[in-house]
Amino acid sequence: MLRVVLILAIAAGVAAMGWMVWDRARSPVATPIADFSAPFVFGRFAVPPDNPLTEEAFALGRHLFYDPMLSGNNEVSCATCHVQALAFTDGRAKSPSLSGGELDFSSMSLANLLWGQERFFWDGRAASLEDQALMPIQHADEMGQDIDALVDELRASATYRKMFLQAYGAVTPENMANALATFMRMLISSDSKYDKYLRGEVRLTAQEEHGRKLFMAHPDTKISLRGGNCIDCHSQFLTSGFRDALDGFSNNGLDPEETLPDGLMAVTGNPAHKGFFKVPTLRNIAVTAPYMHDGRFETLEDVMAHYNDGIVVSDTLSPLILEADNAPEAGQDTVGLRMTGEEMEAIIAFLHTLTDEAFLTNPLFSSPFDGGS
Amino acid sequence: MRFFLGMLAGAVVIIGWVVLNPGQKKPMPITLTFHAEMEGEPLVYDQFVYDNPGGTGQFRVRDFRFYLSNLSFGQGDQTFAEPESYHLLRFDNADKTHSITLPEVPLTSIDTVRFLIGVDPAANESIDVRGDLDPNSQMAWNWEVGYKFVVFEGALQVDQDVSPLVYHVGFSENAREVAFSLPADVLTEANGQIHLTVDPTKLFDGIARVDMQALPSVKFNRSDAAMLANNYATMIAPAF
Repeated sequence: MLRVVLILAIAAGVAAMGWMVWDRARSPVATPIADFSAPFVFGRFAVPPDNPLTEEAFALGRHLFYDPMLSGNNEVSCATCHVQALAFTDGRAKSPSLSGGELDFSSMSLANLLWGQERFFWDGRAASLEDQALMPIQHADEMGQDIDALVDELRASATYRKMFLQAYGAVTPENMANALATFMRMLISSDSKYDKYLRGEVRLTAQEEHGRKLFMAHPDTKISLRGGNCIDCHSQFLTSGFRDALDGFSNNGLDPEETLPDGLMAVTGNPAHKGFFKVPTLRNIAVTAPYMHDGRFETLEDVMAHYNDGIVVSDTLSPLILEADNAPEAGQDTVGLRMTGEEMEAIIAFLHTLTDEAFLTNPLFSSPFDGGS
Repeated sequence: MRFFLGMLAGAVVIIGWVVLNPGQKKPMPITLTFHAEMEGEPLVYDQFVYDNPGGTGQFRVRDFRFYLSNLSFGQGDQTFAEPESYHLLRFDNADKTHSITLPEVPLTSIDTVRFLIGVDPAANESIDVRGDLDPNSQMAWNWEVGYKFVVFEGALQVDQDVSPLVYHVGFSENAREVAFSLPADVLTEANGQIHLTVDPTKLFDGIARVDMQALPSVKFNRSDAAMLANNYATMIAPAF
């Protein structure tokens, strides 16, 4: 009897070991993310065929996003400058640099990256999210990490080895970029009051509706149409910049010719792109202050004041901004929309309908190290 | 003998039908290539090199694009209409051209080509994404109005003064049909390639001649929009 039990136990042990070896050796079969949906008004999106959306990639990407191990000093994670409650911005004009100063640009919100421009960073220097993902990690002033050293650190972790295996296979920089890109692609904000309005579930207040109409209109004094002209750069449903080619980049009149930064021109080499920056999504804009690529405006009121009478003319300024004026008489000394205070308040009220509390608090997007899974 | 002749006649009819029936031939690929040209040369962006057609000063082009829709080809009384036929033509590339390729056109030859500059009313009033129609694109105005059909943006320089030019033409009534005949054998000789020129100057220099200084923008004013539409109706011409 004892022999039988012993043989059975050994057989079970051999089987278990065999299963473990096989499980480790086999190619990973990741689970496609099946049940995500997005409003049809967001339009088409494309996921790179060599980096499909999978549950395992998302879980790995989420861990990496929140792990300070990704930085050289093990103190800075992606989430340091991309805080969920602030729609993945950090509330600062410019994020602090590792060397003590501040970075060149304001931290960008991460929402609905499956749509809108297919170039990333304020100056569009990354042509895909996969390209983008590794840049801050290796940037000396952002996370200051040597990518090979990081791969060694991750390989030393049994947890990460397992997560990489399940999602992709080996621990490599490419798979790290793929996982972070997958996590970022799934940060979908589609449950704001505006979304509910588009789905016919709620009504906007009279002021919000007034603001929505102004948002969508390019002013035309010839037919007495008043407008805030937002839609000339921010698409009507996504509220991001446009997707086609470089349509989602613009010079919005912040600086004079003498101090105009290169912006997109640094990437394309085309002088017609000088001072162009990425038009950001306005989703959750009420929680992503301060505003603009350099965080120069502290409030939405400041932003409206800029567009209303603070436009600075330079050669590459968008003609749509230069030409948009609600006042029929010739301009005085300022360039801008010349709306009433009430109209600006209405647009700001509409912008507040873009705040998506469910997105800002979605546990799936939160840190997996804070008791989450 | 009569039986044999009958058989022969039948065979001739069947063979002839098989050989000559257009439906039996393979569908052919067709490419339309549009060349943006002003003053007979490829369009130059971002430089003050063009004269104001109806007044003084020079203008530069920052953006020029338009929707072409409902493309169809005819051969005698047969017609092939491209499904979901909505194309955004833009020319900000090295060749200043835009090509539309239809891999399979089920006609043996083509004698007419038709399309709209603009968007048909049903699609213009919809927010469905189809073809190049995208309600989140720069070409969308808003739900109430539909799409911009033709966009021309730039600046006018008179002496040292530079002022913006913004021409956005939409409204369903401003779609214009373009139709032309193809000379026989043009397609076979050109291997399915059809070349066309697009002259943006025609917007301002057609039935009506526009002084850009007097009319620096057209957006929602319907009579201004109709005037530019009547002008752009002739901006595309086949180049054989």
